Amino acid sequence: MMKMGKQKYTGEIVPAQLSLSVGLRDDATLANFLAGDNQVLVAHLQQQLLTCDPQYLYIWGKKDSGRSHLLQAACHASGHQDLRSLYLPLRDLASLGIELLEGLDELDLICIDDVEAVLGQAIWEEALFHLFNRMRNKQHRLLISGNAPPQQLPTRLPDLASRLAWGLIYQVQPLDDIQKLAALQLRARQRGLELNDEVARYILHRSPRAMRELFRALEKLDRASLSAQRKLTIPFVKEAMRW
Amino acid sequence: MGLMRMQAQALWQQCLGYLQDELTSQHFNTWIRPLQAEGDEHELRLLAPNRFVMQWVADKYQHRIRELLTDLCDLQPPHLKLGIGSRRTVSNPRSKASAPAPDSLVQDNLVQTSGFSTSAQAAAARYPKPPVGRVQTRQTKPSTPAAAEPSQVIEEAQDAPIDEKPLAAPKKTAKKSRAQKSNTSLTSKSATTPSLDQVPTKTKTTKKSKSAQAHLLTSTKKQDKASQAEHQVPLLAPCPEVIQEAQADPKHQAKTQTAEANKGRTAAERIQAYTRSVREHEERQRQQRSPYTGKANTSTKNSSKKAAALPKANSQLNLQHTFDTFVEGKSNQLARANARQVAEKPGGIYNPLFIHGGVGLGKTHLMHAVGNFIQQQNPQARVMYVNSERFVADMVKALQLGTINEFKRFYRSLDALLVDDIQFFVSKERSQEEFFYTLNALLEENKQIILTSDRYPKEIAVDERLKSRFGWGLTVAIDPPELETRVAILMKKADLAKVHLPAESALFIAQKIRSHVRDLEGALNRVIADAHFKRHPIDTDLIRDSLKDLFAVQEKQIGIDNIQRMVADHYKIKVADLLSKRRTRAIARPRQLAMALAKELTSHSLPEIGTAFGGRDHTTVLHACRKIRALQQELPEIREDWQYLLRLLTA
Repeated sequence: MMKMGKQKYTGEIVPAQLSLSVGLRDDATLANFLAGDNQVLVAHLQQQLLTCDPQYLYIWGKKDSGRSHLLQAACHASGHQDLRSLYLPLRDLASLGIELLEGLDELDLICIDDVEAVLGQAIWEEALFHLFNRMRNKQHRLLISGNAPPQQLPTRLPDLASRLAWGLIYQVQPLDDIQKLAALQLRARQRGLELNDEVARYILHRSPRAMRELFRALEKLDRASLSAQRKLTIPFVKEAMRW
Repeated sequence: MGLMRMQAQALWQQCLGYLQDELTSQHFNTWIRPLQAEGDEHELRLLAPNRFVMQWVADKYQHRIRELLTDLCDLQPPHLKLGIGSRRTVSNPRSKASAPAPDSLVQDNLVQTSGFSTSAQAAAARYPKPPVGRVQTRQTKPSTPAAAEPSQVIEEAQDAPIDEKPLAAPKKTAKKSRAQKSNTSLTSKSATTPSLDQVPTKTKTTKKSKSAQAHLLTSTKKQDKASQAEHQVPLLAPCPEVIQEAQADPKHQAKTQTAEANKGRTAAERIQAYTRSVREHEERQRQQRSPYTGKANTSTKNSSKKAAALPKANSQLNLQHTFDTFVEGKSNQLARANARQVAEKPGGIYNPLFIHGGVGLGKTHLMHAVGNFIQQQNPQARVMYVNSERFVADMVKALQLGTINEFKRFYRSLDALLVDDIQFFVSKERSQEEFFYTLNALLEENKQIILTSDRYPKEIAVDERLKSRFGWGLTVAIDPPELETRVAILMKKADLAKVHLPAESALFIAQKIRSHVRDLEGALNRVIADAHFKRHPIDTDLIRDSLKDLFAVQEKQIGIDNIQRMVADHYKIKVADLLSKRRTRAIARPRQLAMALAKELTSHSLPEIGTAFGGRDHTTVLHACRKIRALQQELPEIREDWQYLLRLLTA
């Protein structure tokens, strides 16, 4: 419904080809992260943003535990505090080379995702090591995520390995089914969608249960419900998802 | 001015709103969020943290940003320029104020703040020896509003693609410049930290580039075309000073600045603006201070005087690393004693003092302790801590700027030089050579040198001459801390953090963590954080719980087939039985168990799990999960089987 409003608004304020930016986005934020068993971790993350203590926070967890969401959410939140930040997903960007790290120590916060993607590569390890030292010297925030605790990462450079273990370390706990239901409903609410328990459970029992899959299903349903002008009911979901 | 700035930033904020809608969270946070905006109604300057990000934004997003600007501004959208650097504001006073070693900010921020320095002046700021015969050295203090312009945003040159930025000589024609560019891109592609052999040539070209104003992406169509044509971008990030060089002449600087803003103004306004900017510049000069001394830089002094006459350098010492905070134990006793002797009598027989040992054992701490002690004994002493990466980076910059003489003079005028992690000099031949001469010069003058490395001098892969110098003085080792020392370290750290750590808790952690001090600190950090959060005193239970995350085993990716195999093995049946239609209990129970495990350990959908078990319905899977949960309550053997298989699969 809000989206309809968005279109109506458009013509009045800005030229027609621009739809008004109303913040109806699916961005990763701390507000739309269902903390589940990660409340302590989220609290420290917020504290890091506020006070730079801990200066360095390392979070790890398996796939789909929400690491990337948290890192992007940290960037998002830092914007509200006039901190300059950057999100660095190494799995995607490692191939671009270490030039990417140049000068980043000027930023107030760097969020390095999937650090394991570059470990084992001497040139990257050394570059990360130097970046780490510079961030620390300047007391700028560093948030790193990986798929294992620091001690079990395949780091070859001992200097880097010991630094990775230096921070405050948390495991990101994946959500259980009940928490997944809540997360799904939270996300739906944020999109202006009504999703009751029954329908949410129906989705959970039929969709692949990784969070990103569930959100993808929700996105699809959001579009379908918008264009069909129908609420999310089991028959509608069944039809729209072809389950 | 303030108002104009607001406008540019407000406009950028609006753009951000759209971009945030249009881009994925990931792309937005990676490429758009780090940009900083400044400018006025005529010009929007976006500052990227480095050359790579700038180029990426230029390639992928510039076009869209320009469209947005056009759409958002009815009449005249501001020119869009991309640059590298940081806005000159104290963006986050909180974090900076809380920094224990704010002095460490100085040297780096300097780079951005000395927007008007000539190369020599930039160097003067870095190596605070007043250059001979210079009337006034302009040195800036970071975060003063003094330097209002970003160092690295350079005036636009409509026909020069950015790619040639600091590397290429100024060019008259686009054609020529492109040819040159492909050259530079070839040579510079290899590395960010330019290999040292290349440096001299670069220095030459950059020197020539005084008039090159190709440092900004401009919003002209031509520019667009040019940058699109340049896919081969030299990724060598410019060192900031290089760009500054293009701005060497303040008058010229002011002129070009105003030229840009002048479009659409009357002549009178233009003149006013020009005189104002010149005045502002002069004002800045007056205000600028030496980052090393914090004192206003009072013009010429004859620099050929002795070191004592020089302003004292920022030592980069961490004041918390003292002998008092260093925890002594068997593993580091000797090293500490030797370091103490050196501290009391610097430049004596233990020169250089070479500390080696594994990572995270306290080498750096000990080194700082000596430096701090020397400084305390003699506040006039010029002590400098630097890690080898920093030494190399500074030298590369000095070479690029042609300020290597200032660099040398600075390092050779020290009373004590502490160089950390010298193993990173490996394969940096030019730096090794310079370092060798620096060492010699200092040793000849009986100035104290302290070096650390993770290995014994002979094992470091550096020049033989350098190696032998390392071994001239005294070499001491630090070994991994034994249990008692680890306990003592934990107690000390807890004490510094003003946290009560019971002795048995310290012992418990120290027994679990045996490697190095950083591991210990990491573990203790976590324990303290949890204790604070849970408002619970530190005890063994809390520690056990806290440290789980540090030691938990990385979870394996488990597939349904894996689960089926394990379960079939455990019950001594065939996988085919699990998939079959047979419903005898000897088959059905294991099948249900396997289904429940599949739901627990994978993120497959229930229909997928059903399909994987011989094409069963997802309700069958749901039923199996409920059944197994109930049976675990009733039958101990099911509970045991469940737990056993769970462990087996996740171990």
